[in-house]
Amino acid sequence: MKSLTISNLSKTYFDPYAAKHLTAVHDVSLEVPEGEFVSIVGPSGCGKTTILNMIAGFLPASSGEIIVDGRLVSGPGPDRGVVFQSHALFPWKTVLENVAFGPKMRGVGLKEREAIALDYLALAGLSHAAERYPNELSGGMQQRVGVVRALANEPAVLLMDEPFASVDAQTRMTLQEELTRIWQARRPTILFITHDVPEAVFLANRVVVLSKGRVLEQVEIDLPRPRSWDTMMENEIFKQLSARVLQLVRAA
Amino acid sequence: MHSIFIQPVLNFWSGYIRLVTRYPTLGSIFPFIPLLLLWSVVVDAEFFPRSFFPGPADVAKAFYDLSRKGILLAYLEDSVVRLVVGAAAGMFAGVFLGLLVGLNAGFYRALWPILLFFQAIGDIAWLPLLIIWFGFGIKTMTFVIVYTVLFPVVLNTVLGVRSIPLDLHRAAQSLGASRWSILTNVVLPGALPNIMTGLRNGLGYGWRALIAAEMIVGTSGIGFMMFDARRSGSVVEILLGMIILGLLWYAVDALILAPIERATGQRWGMVTQ
Amino acid sequence: MTAVIQDQGFVARAMKLARPALTFIAPLFVMVLFWELLIRIFDVHPGIFPGVSAVLIAGAESITNGSLFLHIGASLARVLTGTILAILVAVPLGVLMGVSPGVSMFLTPLFRFFSVLAGIAWIPIATLWFGYGFGAITFVIFNAVFFVVAYNTLLGVSSIPLQLRHAAASLGAQRWAMLWEVLLPGALPNIVTGVRTGIGFAWRGLIAAEMIATNLGLGYMLFLARDFYRTELIVFGMIVIGILWLMIDRLILAPLERRTIERWGLVR
Repeated sequence: MKSLTISNLSKTYFDPYAAKHLTAVHDVSLEVPEGEFVSIVGPSGCGKTTILNMIAGFLPASSGEIIVDGRLVSGPGPDRGVVFQSHALFPWKTVLENVAFGPKMRGVGLKEREAIALDYLALAGLSHAAERYPNELSGGMQQRVGVVRALANEPAVLLMDEPFASVDAQTRMTLQEELTRIWQARRPTILFITHDVPEAVFLANRVVVLSKGRVLEQVEIDLPRPRSWDTMMENEIFKQLSARVLQLVRAA
Repeated sequence: MHSIFIQPVLNFWSGYIRLVTRYPTLGSIFPFIPLLLLWSVVVDAEFFPRSFFPGPADVAKAFYDLSRKGILLAYLEDSVVRLVVGAAAGMFAGVFLGLLVGLNAGFYRALWPILLFFQAIGDIAWLPLLIIWFGFGIKTMTFVIVYTVLFPVVLNTVLGVRSIPLDLHRAAQSLGASRWSILTNVVLPGALPNIMTGLRNGLGYGWRALIAAEMIVGTSGIGFMMFDARRSGSVVEILLGMIILGLLWYAVDALILAPIERATGQRWGMVTQ
Repeated sequence: MTAVIQDQGFVARAMKLARPALTFIAPLFVMVLFWELLIRIFDVHPGIFPGVSAVLIAGAESITNGSLFLHIGASLARVLTGTILAILVAVPLGVLMGVSPGVSMFLTPLFRFFSVLAGIAWIPIATLWFGYGFGAITFVIFNAVFFVVAYNTLLGVSSIPLQLRHAAASLGAQRWAMLWEVLLPGALPNIVTGVRTGIGFAWRGLIAAEMIATNLGLGYMLFLARDFYRTELIVFGMIVIGILWLMIDRLILAPLERRTIERWGLVR
């Protein structure tokens, strides 16, 4: 069961400048069943990135449990793939080597892992870029490689930290559509962090609104798939849901 | 989660961070404390005989003795004066020569390989010849320091001058600037980061050259003191000399060079040329 | 017909490669002519500065009697040994220190301090501890290279963006893989720059050390010649030192550094 369960997650940390303890996340609980696409939205500083970092294992939790695929989480690992805002591709490796990295860490042989990497690159329409270096690619392509690199490792959960925030608007829309297409093809379990409300509603099955470290409300997104921006712009339900979530976020 | 032991440590660390942020110089000093402690402990454990490997207390005592006798100050003065005089001469000559070679294509083609070659020979290799010409004395040492400081300054200045886009020259000309104005308003500011790097490197090499020259040639100065102490087997004085060298250079680096670094956005440890 | 065209191509290519070498050597050649001219015009006493022919003869002599190669061999052996040892110790240490931001912030001042003490300052204590000869000089070389390389490695590793290390960790990289796949490649430009700087310091320290602490090597060759007022041998030695360093730095180290930064210096 490749699912994610967070129970009573909290994070307090010590600020050396203020010389006191600050709480970033208060007692957050969340369930992401297998194959679901859940989005977390909230204003800056609401703790969403902190939660992601705890699930990813980059940050230890102060209290609470994170259970992925039936196991307790402690520290980073290949069962939780991460897509960063700043692509974080290895600049000294080719695109192919980057995507094959995860399988390489698992001990997969050269031929086999290159085949896996090429397969996933094809999925994202990037086969032609396999031998290029990351700095030769555009921002949008870099982000796609980042997504594909995490997916190629077939993690139980894919964590995405505002991955499209640093890309221009047109490219962002294309990337969003592509992400839903990939998701429909492979159905990974995704937790997607963003501050962009329409993006969250467009992508997810469920949107979780976070405010000041607490879960405000969860909104089910009952929109048909496949989704594309041309149709979505006019969709009444989309507009209503976006407005609703936006209201929640702004009131937070 | 935060047990009794962690809290005081956190407080201490937070205090440290705040202090160091306000006074960065302290952050440069604090790390030496555990080093000194470690040194004392190793010396006390007597892995080596005390005469071979003295401790901080012994060195401090030697410092006090030599200071009191005025020897240390005299040596220090000698070393520093030589360095300052030689370095100043080297810097002025270096910038001047650098501007000349950088701005004139003919000079560049003719002189650049020669400059590189003479830099490759290095200051120390000149010592035997210098000793024949000037004997063991101040002329020899000054030459060595000027020579050492000159080349990094010249080479970096040339680099800086040549990397100013031609368009900037042209823009200044079409705005009616005289050659002198172009020099002072375009060339010098444009080449300044590189010149600073050259000065920093030059000073670094110059300092080392000074000590080497004092050891081989000198009759006074810190380098001489260290070398002489070797003959009498006085390790304490050698260590004292090393520490003084380190401190002096550290002070120069932190109080003069680092601010320059920060002002011109350079990074220590990266060699340009 | 085709043979002639191909020949032209080869000659053209050979000339293309030779041009930078020629532009470099030409001014030096002119300088040598100047040198000989000045000696003759001012009738300089050979004890002050030798003529070109005297230097060439002395040089030929030292080559034929093998002494030149002995000295060059000794000097290079010391540099090589000291440098390799220093790199083997400094890089792992630098990596260990660089991985933790707290540790690197704390240790950086220490390494900057000892970096300054490069080379020559260690000679008195080195000769006292190791006696004269290979050990003391290699120790000096080691120190000259070690601190600079360790510092630069520390710098390089600590400036690898944290997200890259996170990315590798979440792709399953364990300690060893993290080192080889992320830390070393990421720090490589800094490491190579450090090595180049360190060898520069080491070379200077080597010549100085060889003047006072041994009886074999290029520095010693110069100093010995001075004892006998053989200026032509001194000048020959100086030219050899210059050429050697030019070859090492310009033909090996600088291209290495440039190539490394091109390939791996993409993080910044």
